[in-house]
Amino acid sequence: MTRYGMLINTKKCIGCYACRTACQRQNGLEADIDFIRYEEIERGTFPVVGLEMVPLQCMHCEDAPCAKVCPTGATYVTDEGIVRVHEERCIGCKYCMAACPYQVRVHNPRTGVVDKCRFCTVNASEDNPMCSCVEACVTGARMFGDLDDPESEVSRAIVELDAHPIMGDLTKAKLFYVR
Amino acid sequence: MSEHAITRRSFLAKSALGAAAVAGSGYIGFEAWKQAHADETGSLQRAGHSLCNSCSSKCGFTAYTRDGRLSTMIGDPDHPYCDGTLCARGYGYASIAYSEDRLTDPLKKNDAGEFEAISWDQAYAEIAEKIQSIIGSDGPQSLILINDPRPSGSYYTKRFMNALGSANVYTHGVSCNMSKNSGMTQALGAADFTSDVANAKMVMFLGRSYCDGIRPSSVHALQKAHENGCHVVMVDPRYNNSMHFADEWIPIRPGTDLALILAMAHVLVKNDTYDHDYVANYTVGFEDWAARLEEYDPAWASEITGIPAETIERLANEMWEAAPQSSIEQGWRAAFGCAHQNSGETARALCLFNTLLGCWGLEGGAYFPASASAGKLEDPKFAAPAAPKEKIIGAAEYPVSSSGMGVSTYALSLIPEGKVKGVIFYQSNCVAGYSNPAQLHDFVAGAELSVAIDVQMTETCQACQYVLPDTSYLERLEVPEFVGGTVPVVSLRDRVLEKVHPNTKPVDEIFSELAEACGVGEYFQFTVDELADAQLKTVGCSLEELREEGTHTFPEKQLKYALKTSWGTTDKKVHFTSEACEKAGFPASPGWLEPKVTPGSGEFRLIGGKQAIHTHTQTANIPALMEITKKYGLERIWMNAQVAEEMGIKDGDEVELSSETHTGVTRVHVTNRIEPTSIYLPSHYGCSVEDQHTAYGVGLRQMDFVPFHIEPGYGGTMSQETLVTVKKVGA
Amino acid sequence: MTFEPIWNSLIAWYLFLAGLGAGAYITSSFLAWRHPDATSMRKTGHLIAPIAVAIGLVLLMFDAEAGLHNPLRFFYLLSNVSSVMMWGVVFLSLFMVVSIVTVVLDFMKRPVPNWLAIIGVALGACVGAYTGALLGVCQTFPLWNNALLPILFLVSAISSGAASVLLVSIFGHAEEFNRVGVLKKFHFCLPLIELVLVASLCFITAQTNPAGAESVANMISGDWAVAFWLGLVFVGLILPTILEIRLLFFSSKEFEESRPAHYISAFSDAGVLVGGFLLRLIITMAAVPLTVAIPLL
Repeated sequence: MTRYGMLINTKKCIGCYACRTACQRQNGLEADIDFIRYEEIERGTFPVVGLEMVPLQCMHCEDAPCAKVCPTGATYVTDEGIVRVHEERCIGCKYCMAACPYQVRVHNPRTGVVDKCRFCTVNASEDNPMCSCVEACVTGARMFGDLDDPESEVSRAIVELDAHPIMGDLTKAKLFYVR
Repeated sequence: MSEHAITRRSFLAKSALGAAAVAGSGYIGFEAWKQAHADETGSLQRAGHSLCNSCSSKCGFTAYTRDGRLSTMIGDPDHPYCDGTLCARGYGYASIAYSEDRLTDPLKKNDAGEFEAISWDQAYAEIAEKIQSIIGSDGPQSLILINDPRPSGSYYTKRFMNALGSANVYTHGVSCNMSKNSGMTQALGAADFTSDVANAKMVMFLGRSYCDGIRPSSVHALQKAHENGCHVVMVDPRYNNSMHFADEWIPIRPGTDLALILAMAHVLVKNDTYDHDYVANYTVGFEDWAARLEEYDPAWASEITGIPAETIERLANEMWEAAPQSSIEQGWRAAFGCAHQNSGETARALCLFNTLLGCWGLEGGAYFPASASAGKLEDPKFAAPAAPKEKIIGAAEYPVSSSGMGVSTYALSLIPEGKVKGVIFYQSNCVAGYSNPAQLHDFVAGAELSVAIDVQMTETCQACQYVLPDTSYLERLEVPEFVGGTVPVVSLRDRVLEKVHPNTKPVDEIFSELAEACGVGEYFQFTVDELADAQLKTVGCSLEELREEGTHTFPEKQLKYALKTSWGTTDKKVHFTSEACEKAGFPASPGWLEPKVTPGSGEFRLIGGKQAIHTHTQTANIPALMEITKKYGLERIWMNAQVAEEMGIKDGDEVELSSETHTGVTRVHVTNRIEPTSIYLPSHYGCSVEDQHTAYGVGLRQMDFVPFHIEPGYGGTMSQETLVTVKKVGA
Repeated sequence: MTFEPIWNSLIAWYLFLAGLGAGAYITSSFLAWRHPDATSMRKTGHLIAPIAVAIGLVLLMFDAEAGLHNPLRFFYLLSNVSSVMMWGVVFLSLFMVVSIVTVVLDFMKRPVPNWLAIIGVALGACVGAYTGALLGVCQTFPLWNNALLPILFLVSAISSGAASVLLVSIFGHAEEFNRVGVLKKFHFCLPLIELVLVASLCFITAQTNPAGAESVANMISGDWAVAFWLGLVFVGLILPTILEIRLLFFSSKEFEESRPAHYISAFSDAGVLVGGFLLRLIITMAAVPLTVAIPLL
């Protein structure tokens, strides 16, 4: 089975927002539709200070709470484990937004549809160049690949870098963070 | 949870009961949205190679369109500045082509002060008539032109002004890296060296943050340095975003970097730990500096900079231990590009400190990038107009300023006395950014002729009589851009989109046609395509080839590490002493020079600085970028947490910020990431042009708080020479 | 993070009106059982039920903008059996059918068969509890994600429904109003039960995790404190209790049936309705998600 997942290395994230604007360009999103949101964490007291930037987006949970509560089946999980939205089925009830523990479902105020990260980078290839978050990251903080393939770059990196879902086992998330 | 959220929450709490009334408002604009997205079904087409215009780096990228609309953008792996990735601005700023706030027709200000659309013919005829009348009465030197350099802009503006007989072509330098480059030129005969960060053992940054003012290849180099175990030191009043790849933060009081450099040099000289061979063989005037350095010991510098003396001593020693694989990075605008009264001297001292390390030209040290350029064009139609006899205005008054940039603010200040009568701006929002906006507006508004060429209404356009609508950078071919690096390249900004607004014109057409109207059309008897092709043929390439290739590399010109033994100075040596500086009123070798203003009790230095998502005021009207500002409260000023606590100010509070020139209200970000004597005001906000519907009214404008003044000798705008007070609103 | 409440007051109105409608039907059935003579009041309750629920559903559709623009999408609503909202749609639809049939029977002056009333009461209870379960399954919000919420919302639904019937009756059918003592006593108990439930909800949620604590803080000392203490607790729960104690236990029968007493009752019932709405509004809006602060290392 193919089971896609992503790794985000926050030690490399400089908080430049390139993934956000690249994602918007790649997916033709409007300026206020952001599939990626950021948590900036400042630690310490002057002059001993630490800083961490954590980009959050759809974790493509295997047990996706948003898909579970969606009354119309607009949100669904593909065979490859990608959580997708059938835009033409979405009534905009926002139940998915309430159910998502990571607050990464995004309501489009013009269409009413609740959208999210599409793991679009899965379609990137030489014939289909993309500026998805993974391709666009200036520091290479992101990796994408098949979690079920132990030899994939992302699988190996998860082991080597000791990456974990952002909130433990809250859901079966497929985004892994190095922090 | 941020204060941001709480504010929003309170608002909702108060308005929730009434919200039902506005429930239906959500779907306004839905049809428009559907319309805009209806065409997103076509297949992806490679539209060509362009150069980003969101900052001066002009990174290369390949543009892809779907049904003629811009879609994916892929950073060019061969471009030395982009190195395969673009930054947030690159993706966001590209939407300028479709901005609802684009200028679409030539405009002329009527007697009531309002702009009215006119034809290009009328615009050319009237502007040309005024230009000719000014030349007739006052000569061509009373005309000036100011532009932010871009490939075609640099070529056509200079050619146009020189054809008229004027030497007065200015860049944005006074508000960018004027002082830095000028100071470096006094020491080295050249500016713009590159610290070989990726291969260094130790690098010290003074105020510059690769991860905030982003050039992707620089970020890559810093990241590599970090991964290689390089000792990266950030000397900055702020804990900037480059700290992700740095080992130490040295908070410093703004305007005091010179004292730090002098004290570190003092340590090296006192300990006799410097490259004696290099100093003996390739420099002049060392003794003068060595003698001057005696009084600048770390204890002295500690008082001024706020950095402990032992830290200064340690850093100096560590730099020497790492030498020659160490250097102080050159900076850019940041701390001494144009910031203080001592900025030029800071840059000069920096180069001299690096000279003590013996790092020039060596791997891991600091090198000058390999470069390439177009050869001479044989076809007589490309022959340049005769060089003007006179020097650029300001060169005499600011004798150590870089004449390649020019002291534009000084030239503008001559308008009231009638020494300058006409001013043309190309892609330059001078009024909002070069110095005090109110003063600059008055200067420009007082000119006999004032013309601005831009893509959107700016503060500068508003001050002018004529506004001419430029195409966006995506809609035109430009003169090829030669870029230096470890491997130099030539890269193309090609047209990747059809014109969005039919009555806009590309810069080459505007200046060629205006030249024709002014009677100097003989210098513009070619198209930009012909010019580009001719230039490229001189380096073994062609326009057709470059259109395919995007970026053409010159591997044969690749940088080779070797000790730099010959300099661009008259005697080919590094100058510890400078006659020109002495004549300009500075000591022969750099010594301590106080900043112009020093905060007293309750006062702060106001510092600016870039955020990764904006370039000066140019990108603030881009919704994709401004939405980030709004969502994360990036327009807020920064205040040190302990200071804020003492003043009873909390994160997110509204505060009144006042200087001698301006008072404004904004919110505050209370943080431990800034040293206590500084207030940081991000340099991108406070747009006062209502026609910029996205940017208007967000945040405060740094330059409003800065008086109109010019750094003696070097000509910088002294953008951080101002003091502010902060008061909680309602307190 | 920059968290903004997901749902606005439209949803609170919907939750309130759906509950109120269900409660009104249950009240009417209670009247049929214990006060069979109070026919006007019973019919009032039957009439309130579908009207309140229908208004609530319209508001819900206004909130679901994507469906509002493309109404055909509402036909997908029965797609996902694992969604509580799907079950809500089922309960609401069936309840609407039953309550409309009931109104039609009332209108035709035909008796409402017991089996229909029992089905209506069962569906009403489902609707009332559903409004709580809808929020309750959202793991994200500790304030919602607990077993108390459906019970609290059900009690509040019945309380609001009864209050609406009583309030209309005070002005429409004062005679009957005077004769429904058992209903009034039951109705009196409900705010007290709610008070216990609200207090339990706060105490327990505050102990769960930071998000729970912050949610409760939002309610009791934050932006919602005034609405919570003055609106919900005082006007919605305590004041009706005090007024009803005064009327039910410390008043002469004459006073109880006098017009001033009616006004006091009306005031008390209006308070219950205000409280019922505020309960939903505050709980909908004050909830803070688990990920409001991602764990520090």
